[in-house]
Order: sequence, then C-alpha cells, then structure tokens
Amino acid sequence: MNEPPKEPVKYVDSHVRLPYHYVAGDYRATQLRAFKEKKILGSKCSKTGKVFIPPIVNSPESFAPCDEFVAVSDKGVVTTFCVVCIPVIGREIELPYVAASVALDGADISIFAAIQECKAADVRMGLRVEAVWKPEGERQGNHEDILYFRPTGEPDAPFESFIHRL
Amino acid sequence: MSQKLRNVAVVGFAQMPTVARDEHRMSTEMLYPVVREALAQVGVGRDAIDYQVSASTDYADGRPFGFVAALDVMGSWPPRQDLHLEMDGSFAAYYAWVKLQTGEVDTAIVCGHGKTSEGEPDRVYNLQLEPYYHAAMGLDPTSTSALQASAYMARAGVTDADLAAVAARNRTAGAKNPDAQLREAASAADLQKTPFKVSPLREGYLPQIGESATCLVLAAEGKAEKLCKHPAWVQGAHHIAEMQTLGARDLTKSASTVLAAKTALAMAGVGSAAEVDVIELLAQNPAAEMIVLDALGLDPKNPKPVVNPSGGAICADPIMSTGLVRLGEVFRQLSGSAGPRQVANAKRAIAHAAQGHALQQNIVWVLGTERRWS
Repeated sequence: MNEPPKEPVKYVDSHVRLPYHYVAGDYRATQLRAFKEKKILGSKCSKTGKVFIPPIVNSPESFAPCDEFVAVSDKGVVTTFCVVCIPVIGREIELPYVAASVALDGADISIFAAIQECKAADVRMGLRVEAVWKPEGERQGNHEDILYFRPTGEPDAPFESFIHRL
Repeated sequence: MSQKLRNVAVVGFAQMPTVARDEHRMSTEMLYPVVREALAQVGVGRDAIDYQVSASTDYADGRPFGFVAALDVMGSWPPRQDLHLEMDGSFAAYYAWVKLQTGEVDTAIVCGHGKTSEGEPDRVYNLQLEPYYHAAMGLDPTSTSALQASAYMARAGVTDADLAAVAARNRTAGAKNPDAQLREAASAADLQKTPFKVSPLREGYLPQIGESATCLVLAAEGKAEKLCKHPAWVQGAHHIAEMQTLGARDLTKSASTVLAAKTALAMAGVGSAAEVDVIELLAQNPAAEMIVLDALGLDPKNPKPVVNPSGGAICADPIMSTGLVRLGEVFRQLSGSAGPRQVANAKRAIAHAAQGHALQQNIVWVLGTERRWS
C-alpha cells in the first residue's frame, strides 16, 4: 500500500465528442440551392452597391445591409494564386495544384478556387477562368457542385481591372 | 472606497428575443440587426464607437477563433480596438468599463452571441470541469447545480415547495417580458408536479436551451448625456472568481458574490443590497437564486427589493448573453423603458451575473439614475 507504483501513469485517455447541427442561414441556403441551376448568387450592399460572394447580410466595410441577391457570372479572373505541393487535408487532388483567388464577373470580392486543366506554370494573375460544374442531375446544392475552374482561352484581364477585387 | 472614478453609463441596449432555435440565421446574422438597433437607440453610426468587446465561446460555436466572425457585423471598419472574452457579456462589459476608466476611449459596445442550439451545451459545460475526474465522471451543469441545491437545502432548511415558489415568481414575471423564451406564467403547484431532471431540480425549475444576441452601449460622462435621455450610471462594479474544484468550496454559499457585492456596494456608497429598488440576477435554478440572494444579505424566501422582474435566467438563458441581459434589463428599469414589467420609481439597481459550474464566478454591478462621482 505504501510502496510507490512501479509504473508511472503516463497518460489519461480522454475522449471528447461534440456534435454540431449548424444552421446554414437563409442567405447561404439560397446560394447553395442556386448551385443546382448552375447559378452563383451574391448579395449587394444597399449603400455602396458592392456585391459579396458568398452572400452576406451586411457589408463589413460599409456596415449597411446587403438586402438584394444578384446573380454573378461563373466566369472570372485569377487575381492571385499559389502552387500547392503538399497534401491537402480532406481533399483528394493531384499535386501540385493551383489554389487561386477568382474574382467572378459582377462580384466585388473574390472566391477561392482550384485551377485545373492547365499546367501550374501557365497560371498567372489576370488569367480568365470559368467554373466546371458537376453534370446535370448530379448537383446537390453544395460547394462540391463546382468541381474546379479552368482557363477560358480569352485574353488576360488588365491588372487595373481586378486590383480592387483581390 | 474613496477613490474617484470616471462616471460611465449604460446608454443603450438591444437584444434578439430568446428562442429555442433560430432556423434562419447564423449567430452573426442574429447579432447584426441587434448592433444596428443599439446604435440607432443612441442615434449614432459605428464611427462614434471607440471600443468593442464581444462575448462568445468557441466550444458552443464549434469553431476555433469563432469570435472573429463577429467583427464583420459589429461595424469594425475602419479597424478599431477590439477585445474578446470567452465569458458572459456581463464580464465583457466589465472589461469595457475598465477600458473607459483609462480615459483612452469614451464609448464602447459590448456584444454577446452564440447559437446554443447548434451544439450540445451539456457536453460543452462538461468540458469546463477539471478533466481527470469531474469531467470524466460525466457531470453536467444540471448535476453540479443539483449537488449544490441539495447541499443548500440541507443547510438552510429549504424545501421543494420553496424552490417551486422561486421558480413560479420568475415564471410569472417572465410572462410580461417579450424577450423571454418561457412566456407562460406557471404556479408553484404546477411546477412542483413536473418531473425531476436531476433531483432535487425539476424540469419546471430550469431554463430551456435558448439563443439570442445582445448589444449594450456604454459611454463616459460628457458623451453619455448626449446619447441617452436617461443614462444608467455605473456606481460600482466588482467580480470575483472562486476555485474550480467543486469539493474545495462550500457550495451552499457564494463567497465570491459576498465579496463582489461588498466592494461594489461600497464603491456606490450604498449600505446594503436591500437599499436598491430592483435586482436582476443570473441564477439558472431556484436554489442558485436563493444562494445569491443570501450572499447579497437578503431573505432568500421573501426578498426585498423586487428580484428579476424580467423573469430571470429561468425564463431565458441564452448562452453568453444571459448576464448581459441582466445589465440591459436594469438599464431598461432605470431609464423607465421596461414596459409592463417596469418597477415604479426605480432609481438604483443591482445587476448580477455568474459564470461556471455552481456559481464559480460572480459579478455584481450597482447602477443608478444619478452620477456617483462629481
């Protein structure tokens, strides 16, 4: 009884389980549903007219409500990018791949997207790209409905046209 | 307390009515209209606010650093000084008040937000306990509260009927509060018939899971009078934390409330809690309420002054906001805007809040219609 234990306790096993059931919110739900029709929706600031993607209830910049949904194009421009050479958590993707900020036509901020169907070395700021959607009938209304973006072959967009939409 | 402090007042308060689950809005989407409403109450834009503090918990949000999302809806552009607290908004308000004391800022907003319904609060609160023993045993806030209630009832000779009476008083008051979640009055006899959740606490004595978003506006003398016709001046405030280990403290008493109240009342130049006109306190069950009243030096069975005209936490317990609502309710009482739950001629009030298992930490505010320091 008085003898110290021969083996010290090295660790205590502790399992933490915390399930969550998130509310998407009406704004995000509206956007996700529109993916089924290959539509990308943003919300428009009632004060400055800036269009945010994904749609948000207010402009963080102007603090005014964004109370109007607007459809933006599924084509846009690469505003900045990086080449990823390390495995990505939770995603099966061939390495290296290009992760880019894409400013869609009609949107005032860019979204993040993978660029495929071209060499990483060919991706550049100003490259015109378009969304590649899952085929008809397979779209579920979630972010995987857009598989990736690929070059359109159009001439590059001038730097001044996207510098404010990085 | 002879030290002269800067006069600071609550000048605005807005909240989303507490609901079981808002299916249409994320946490920040609930907060945005509340911040707008609070600023509209004081008639200024976001530019007029010098400082902000938010209260939320990442464990309830289910994402690390979740509080940064609130910056987008709090009007934080151009960039401003911000502080986040993983505690109830009442404690966040204390930090804002301290910042205002430095003289660096004249105005501040304090926000509480969190969607309690998205996670499982009992699991979250379990993790708040000491991890090797208490958490591993599976204790949740209802069981730690029940341990405390049992001990208190034995010490003070309090019965199930006494608990029912306290719950019924809150429920009857809550029926007059449009922001409360439980808005149906209930008699002590009815509540005493509800089944035990964890004995000695019955379902009818406990709050339900609910969520809200809150925003309080604080301003220093010179600004406060311009922003609000009837500012509620902070006359004293103090908060005290106790040990985490449940077995190491006397659960039948709230030593931290005693100390916090003593200092806050002395700051305010008030002899005792009985001298104020209204008290809003945060107690999530009737036994906890009686323990806090006892610590304030009041009769737990027959408290005077009026306690919880809003219905208290038993009628609405939105995580991270419940304590801030107490401050907001006291502001409404002192500014004469409490509607059907208005206490006539309320000139001075106490707003209490607690955090942690079995009243581990307590804050006591004394507010009044008059400036404390001249």
